[in-house]
Amino acid sequence: MEAIWLYQFRLIVIGDSTVGKSCLIRRFTEGRFAQVSDPTVGVDFFSRLVEIEPGKRIKLQIWDTAGQERFRSITRAYYRNSVGGLLLFDITNRRSFQNVHEWLKETKVHVQPYQIVFVLVGHKCDLDTQRQVTRHEAEKLAAAYGMKYIETSARDAINVEKAFTDLTKDIYELVKRGDISIQEGWEGVKSGFVPNVVHSSEEVVKSERRCLC
Amino acid sequence: MTVREKTRLEKFRQLLSSHNTDLDELRKCSWPGVPREVRPITWRLLSGYLPANTERRKLTLQRKREEYFGFIEQYYDSRNEEHHQDTYRQIHIDIPRTNPLIPLFQQPLVQEIFERILFIWAIRHPASGYVQGINDLVTPFFVVFLSEHVEEDVENFDVTNLSQDVLRSIEADSFWCMSKLLDGIQDNYTFAQPGIQKKVKALEELVSRIDEQVHNHFRRYEVEYLQFAFRWMNNLLMRELPLRCTIRLWDTYQSEPEGFSHFHLYVCAAFLIKWRKEILDEEDFQGLLMLLQNLPTIHWGNEEIGLLLAEAYRLKYMFADAPNHYRR
Repeated sequence: MEAIWLYQFRLIVIGDSTVGKSCLIRRFTEGRFAQVSDPTVGVDFFSRLVEIEPGKRIKLQIWDTAGQERFRSITRAYYRNSVGGLLLFDITNRRSFQNVHEWLKETKVHVQPYQIVFVLVGHKCDLDTQRQVTRHEAEKLAAAYGMKYIETSARDAINVEKAFTDLTKDIYELVKRGDISIQEGWEGVKSGFVPNVVHSSEEVVKSERRCLC
Repeated sequence: MTVREKTRLEKFRQLLSSHNTDLDELRKCSWPGVPREVRPITWRLLSGYLPANTERRKLTLQRKREEYFGFIEQYYDSRNEEHHQDTYRQIHIDIPRTNPLIPLFQQPLVQEIFERILFIWAIRHPASGYVQGINDLVTPFFVVFLSEHVEEDVENFDVTNLSQDVLRSIEADSFWCMSKLLDGIQDNYTFAQPGIQKKVKALEELVSRIDEQVHNHFRRYEVEYLQFAFRWMNNLLMRELPLRCTIRLWDTYQSEPEGFSHFHLYVCAAFLIKWRKEILDEEDFQGLLMLLQNLPTIHWGNEEIGLLLAEAYRLKYMFADAPNHYRR
């Protein structure tokens, strides 16, 4: 049976190839670290519930995107219907950090007239000895674009919950304040599943359908 | 081996050794699957890499293998030059992630072979270049040509047991056969991937005609075909099926006219409809997407692929270029 949730948010995860997008999402949604995984082609879908306050649950629909340039024509179709995003770079790969500007430019063009609340994620922070991007410069960059910055590791499960939960809370606040609102024809935010009444009538519909079959 | 299998193998041997192999007959025989023993040579012939005339084969192979290693000599060093380094970098990071669960592909020697094949192909085809997914397409050829030299389980074989010469011929043959395959589907990988866009639309159109219920179910829960079928086209279903099944599937694709570019569409439709019960049981977007991204084919073998192909064949004949009045 469907769990009860207040809102559904659609999030998108972007960043260069091999910064660890799929691994981060898998750690978050499946609770394990995939040692090996095929490169993502196009877009993959994941989902999880998060509790932002006792009893207040948000359903996250997460789109994992391919990092390779050629897939951009497919992946950019998903920006428009996302309310939030995690923009990843790999702290051991300077180039992936430099490309953060490009990613923001790219999304800005294609998300109009909506906006995406981004968090900048410095991933693979377990590999601190190979670090090529300091925390300080990443924080500076994030601040310049009005984003929060967080460092995560899917391997060691560092800050993975926090990255997603903090972003979800921020979006929730914006929704509560009315800065972001539910709109017809936009998938970014959907209002929740109201318990009791709807549930029981759904059950009736279901059983009727089964009888017909 | 059953009597029937023995007869089939005999028939293949006869065809393959005749002075001029009858390619139409070979396609007909290969459609329902090629016996393992004769698969390497059959694939070389079906892909158009080897000539039908037996006398010309040896020379052709020799010439093509030399040509390939000529490319390597001429171009492979350019992988670190500025205009090619993005291509090489992407290939280099994708190779260890290709079939990560099969030990064969974790061997350094094998990974180097894949890198060379993909890099040479990419720089010779600048309109598409290297696109993720193409790395998967080398695999079946490599495994089939390797199987010619390996008695035991190919997926766990240590390639250092083979001579340099043998490895070189496997590499060159894989390159050429993959090139032939890609010639037919290059628009899958050019800018904005028009081939895939077109095929996903065609799949949607086809499913709306053959299974309105499934089609409407997707619409009701706002599932778009591109969300799950993009990968089916980009990787030719290789991510959805075990490798052994892909190899069997390709026996047929190479026997069909335009197997990879056209017949594949009907296979995708048949594959989707195969799960219609599971699909109709899911009653939200999330459940549907999770199902479609993780279809349980792990135990599939020749029998399932045979049924799938038979259904695809039926669909092709019922619906190919059918006018709109077929629409219900």
